[in-house]
Amino acid sequence: MTAAQANRLSRWTMEYGIKPCAIAGCFVLVAMLWTFPLQHVIAYPFVFLFFAAIMGSAWFGGVIAGFVAVVLSSVIITYFFIPPLYSITVAKESQSFLAAFILSALAIAIVSSARKRAESVVRNARDQLEAKVRERTAELQRSNLEIQERERQLRMLTEAIPQQIWRADTSGRIEYCNQYLRDYVGASAESLLRESFLSILHDEDAPLFRRGWESALMAGRRFEAEARVRGADGRYRWFLVRSLPHRSEDGQIARWYGIHIDIEERHSLQQRLLSAHEDLSRFSRTMSLAQMAASIAHELNQPLTALASHASACRRWLQAEPANVSRAATAAEVIVQETTRAANVVRRVRSLFSKSDYVRESTDLNSLIVDLAGLLRDDAIRRSVSIKLGLAEDLPKLQIDPVQIQQVLLNLAINGMEAMTGIDGPRLLEITTKALGTEEIAASVKDRGPGFSETVKTSMFDPFVTTKPEGTGMGLAICRSIIEEHDGRIWAEQSEQGTVFQFVLKVSK
Amino acid sequence: MNNVASNSVPTVFTVDDDAAICAGLCDLLESAGLKTRQYSSAEEFLESWNPNMPGCLVLDVRLPGMSGMELHAKLAEAGASLPVIIMTAHGDMPMVRKALKAGAVEFLIKPFQDEELLRAVEEAFAVDRAQRRAEKLVNSIQARAETLTERERQVMDLVATGLTNKEIAEKLYLSVVTIKLHRGQVMRKMQAETLADLVKMSERLNPTHDSDRAGA
Repeated sequence: MTAAQANRLSRWTMEYGIKPCAIAGCFVLVAMLWTFPLQHVIAYPFVFLFFAAIMGSAWFGGVIAGFVAVVLSSVIITYFFIPPLYSITVAKESQSFLAAFILSALAIAIVSSARKRAESVVRNARDQLEAKVRERTAELQRSNLEIQERERQLRMLTEAIPQQIWRADTSGRIEYCNQYLRDYVGASAESLLRESFLSILHDEDAPLFRRGWESALMAGRRFEAEARVRGADGRYRWFLVRSLPHRSEDGQIARWYGIHIDIEERHSLQQRLLSAHEDLSRFSRTMSLAQMAASIAHELNQPLTALASHASACRRWLQAEPANVSRAATAAEVIVQETTRAANVVRRVRSLFSKSDYVRESTDLNSLIVDLAGLLRDDAIRRSVSIKLGLAEDLPKLQIDPVQIQQVLLNLAINGMEAMTGIDGPRLLEITTKALGTEEIAASVKDRGPGFSETVKTSMFDPFVTTKPEGTGMGLAICRSIIEEHDGRIWAEQSEQGTVFQFVLKVSK
Repeated sequence: MNNVASNSVPTVFTVDDDAAICAGLCDLLESAGLKTRQYSSAEEFLESWNPNMPGCLVLDVRLPGMSGMELHAKLAEAGASLPVIIMTAHGDMPMVRKALKAGAVEFLIKPFQDEELLRAVEEAFAVDRAQRRAEKLVNSIQARAETLTERERQVMDLVATGLTNKEIAEKLYLSVVTIKLHRGQVMRKMQAETLADLVKMSERLNPTHDSDRAGA
């Protein structure tokens, strides 16, 4: 027999032997001791206390204790209280009484122990339930703490990230800004929480930003835009604003998270690069123009030199005393020949530039202008110029060379922006289109510059006429030649606020 | 091209690959009564060039083969004193500077006025005349110097350096009287009227410290 088995056996003996017997013995002894004095008061053999003892034994000791109590009680009653007294025998007339007692006692033991069992099952169940509830409660508290801790850490993280972070509700209203954003925005941080952050954007960036943000909100798509954000010191810096929707489990957008990345350095670098690039292209343009001019000049100078020499000689022959008419005539003959040669040079130069790459495509003028506005955006920002487009809807398409026409628009737009450098008022460049009847479309570029003088008005489209110190004087001349090649007209007008350049193109049938 | 003609009348030599320009220039120059010759390349000019021909060269910068600047350099190298007028259709300053530094009399940018060319040619002729006169003078001095004996030449050179008769006598181990005799002989043969004349002539014969055209 192993120790475990012995242990189990002893526990088993304790549980089902000693403990029930002891309980039963105690109850029955108490009942017997109380019954002795009471039997003198009551005439019939007084056995009710034994019932109580049996009930108690069965209740507290279980069914075994109940049966032990029944046996003990029966023996004690038979011995002490049923005649003949102090004998184990039972008188004939008392046998039915004893039988009734034993049956009742058994019934009481069974019922009491059953009740007890049922009750303890219920209690057990309740205890278990309570234990479980306690356990659950503890768990819940623990996880609550964990969540709080995690949230605290997350918040610490968002506060620690050296970027500006915000959270907005589904409508785009900001609910939370991290410390960096609050520090950067300064006094207006409170209003930022209440209103949308459009109020801290640069006026020129706000409309575009609003459009992008609203469409992102509607579509539930991520949003990204570059814009100038006003800092606490009132100065603007360029930021890359990026926002992502956060969806709840049912796929609905729960909130928006946004981050502002400072790109001021990058932006200014980019601007410098861009302007360097522009300078370069302008430089190379004038360079190639200069080279071209030099070669044309050389080509023309040769016949001109010969012409001038012969012409001078001719005059001298005629002025001589006496006049040498035959030499003069020869010189004049050569002059005629040389003139033809010079004219040929001019013709060659012209054929070099004319219509060699003739292109006509069905083009939407408005979309050309929209593209152009995109191209000009950086330039406009650098010059603090706002570009406003006023494009007529449903314009018919034009048969044009889109590159050339865009070149014209670009030239006019840059002219307009340059005209506004150094003026005090709002620098607004308006590009508009409109239909003139069904046959023509007009496009205009209007600036708020100082306008032009009457003397310039007649010559501004001529080549080499410029009012700009580093201008080539070719811009408007090229514009005019492009527009005229398209069978259109171009002119300039003085408006009450500045200059309007306007060109008209025919709608092809 | 014979020597008789070339020695008498100065000629304008025009070099330009553009025949029309060449013809035009010559027509103009002839109308001013000048003698001209046309060449279409530097090589063609060099072939027929005779250093004895007086006049000037009107040269285009851009030529096929040898360029105008190269021809100019080559003439200077050969010791030719022919004045050069440079023409170009490209009036870039570096080239102008280069041409004038190389000794061009004038730089003309095409197209130019007739007066500009005529004035330049006039100037070039003047330069040429002066140079040729100076050259002739040196030649005659040289011819006279050749009639001197070796000792007389020695005495002349020492006189020209500024030494006194006594110093010369000491240097040549001769008596002062002998030096005086030699000296009189030198003055006579060199046809020098004064001591200063003799010094000048000696300088022309021995152009050590100055340009050979100095004083021309």
